[in-house]
Amino acid sequence: MDRNMFTGGLPGTISRRGFLRACAIATAAMGLPMEMVTKVAEAAESPERPRVIWLHFQECTGCSESMLRASHPDLATLILDLIDLQYHETLMVGAGHQAEAAFEKAIEEPGYVLVVEGSIPTGEYEDFCMIGGHSAEHNLKKAAKNAAAIINIGTCSAWGGIPVARPNPTKAVATGDIIKDKPIINIGGCPPNPHNFLSAVLYYLTFKKLPPTDIYGRPLFAYGRRIHDHCERRPHFDEGRYAEQFGDVGHRLGYCLYKVGCKAPETFGNCSIIRFNDVEVWPVSVGNGCYGCTEPNFWDTMSPFHERLPGVPLPVNGGTIANATDIGKKALGITAAALAIHAGIGVAKSFAKGKKKEEE
Amino acid sequence: MAGHGKDYEKVYVWSVLLRVYHWVFALSIFILIATGLYINWPWTNTWMEGSHQWTMAIMRYIHYVAGMLFTMATIARIYLWFFGNKNEKVWDFAPITPRNIKNMITTSFYYAYLTDNHEHRTGHNAMAGMSYVMTILLAVIQFITGFYLLYPESSFFVGLGSVFGTQQTARFIHHILNWYFAIFAAVHIYIASWNDIRSPEGLISSIFSGYKFFPKGHH
Repeated sequence: MDRNMFTGGLPGTISRRGFLRACAIATAAMGLPMEMVTKVAEAAESPERPRVIWLHFQECTGCSESMLRASHPDLATLILDLIDLQYHETLMVGAGHQAEAAFEKAIEEPGYVLVVEGSIPTGEYEDFCMIGGHSAEHNLKKAAKNAAAIINIGTCSAWGGIPVARPNPTKAVATGDIIKDKPIINIGGCPPNPHNFLSAVLYYLTFKKLPPTDIYGRPLFAYGRRIHDHCERRPHFDEGRYAEQFGDVGHRLGYCLYKVGCKAPETFGNCSIIRFNDVEVWPVSVGNGCYGCTEPNFWDTMSPFHERLPGVPLPVNGGTIANATDIGKKALGITAAALAIHAGIGVAKSFAKGKKKEEE
Repeated sequence: MAGHGKDYEKVYVWSVLLRVYHWVFALSIFILIATGLYINWPWTNTWMEGSHQWTMAIMRYIHYVAGMLFTMATIARIYLWFFGNKNEKVWDFAPITPRNIKNMITTSFYYAYLTDNHEHRTGHNAMAGMSYVMTILLAVIQFITGFYLLYPESSFFVGLGSVFGTQQTARFIHHILNWYFAIFAAVHIYIASWNDIRSPEGLISSIFSGYKFFPKGHH
């Protein structure tokens, strides 16, 4: 995708054409029919922008980074024009008491969308993450009280992510473990694709409800399918052509990364389809296997990251075409042998007959 | 021979190689039609997804293996056209000799219920012969287009398959011929059964045993 795709004539502006293009991409990402583009665009340009409060807890801010800077700067501008972002610790200008006052003011009026980034330490460890003199758990409960819905951006707030990896030194939990009475949607990924977050927000704007999800609360439009099933290296998997180790011939030829630890056969997401960063890349396209970061507890269950994922049945040992070719060659040998035997018997018979005639 | 040997005589018609060819050909055709239609229209794709069922990969694999057997069977049959026994040779049944052209006309009258007279031939009648010659020639086209699609990087098969045009044209021919074989199988089974009822010669069992039975002095 062209970086200037969404921009208008002036720097930092969005043209009508670019705006509609962004809405069309988001509509496609949500798996909605193209007739819905107008509806999505109407919702997106409505003056009633949903108020959003964005909280950071135990995380690396990578989700915000990916969201705002790395991938689609102009799409990020769109998102910031689209929603009424009232509180975001990384982006806001204010600091100290000013920031806390903004937070108190923002949560007064109910009906906002709460975006959570990062996991929450609990119990005797709750002071491991303190903001404005209050624990993460305290802040989350306070902000969630008046929220209409919660969007967890990233694996940390969705299922705990890296902070809950064994031995979980901060006794961290996910947002859903603390807040039980609000609709929650999980945008898994470390970091998640900004398109998926954008699409979830646009879905909410268009339909005034959260999109349908799988059992882990991930929107089906983005996490309904295995990455493996839409991977550009999938034909190599089916044909039994693997990179056996990093840097070998198979790796250089772009073969399947399953044997060097790719977890895509067990990971749900759309990374292989929509990719990242405007330059059409994603981990597998640059030669590193999938780590399974959109899955709950991936740090524990998907590691070691560069070891072969066990128990994935290969479709046909040695590859479908290679194996069929092998059988074909054997069948050709057997056929040739059968024809040779047939011809041999014929020759022997006529030879015997000829001899008989001579004897007569 | 014991029993009713007086009225009928037992004649050895089909060699072992021809019978093996027939059943490999028949079995591979059934498998190829089923898997080929699936590959053309993978109707299970969404509901089997995500459950470790490599349905398409397995279907393709079975299709390729069956295609190999189909090819070998076709080669064996072409060999028998020239080096088989007298019933298996192509000039015994292809409508290219005066004897076969005459037989073709009488057989078409017999099949249309216009006459009950027909020639008792040990091998194929010329009508069947024509359709078998055509089937084998189409089988050759089918396996060449198939290999052209299967090995798009092999210069040998690309050279061979390019006779039929681009990959897409070859795919189209391959697909149309799939239907020819489906219709051929249905018609073949129907006419074989019809003949076995109308003129009992042990026609169907001959493809298992190699023997046919004829009224004495009728062939």
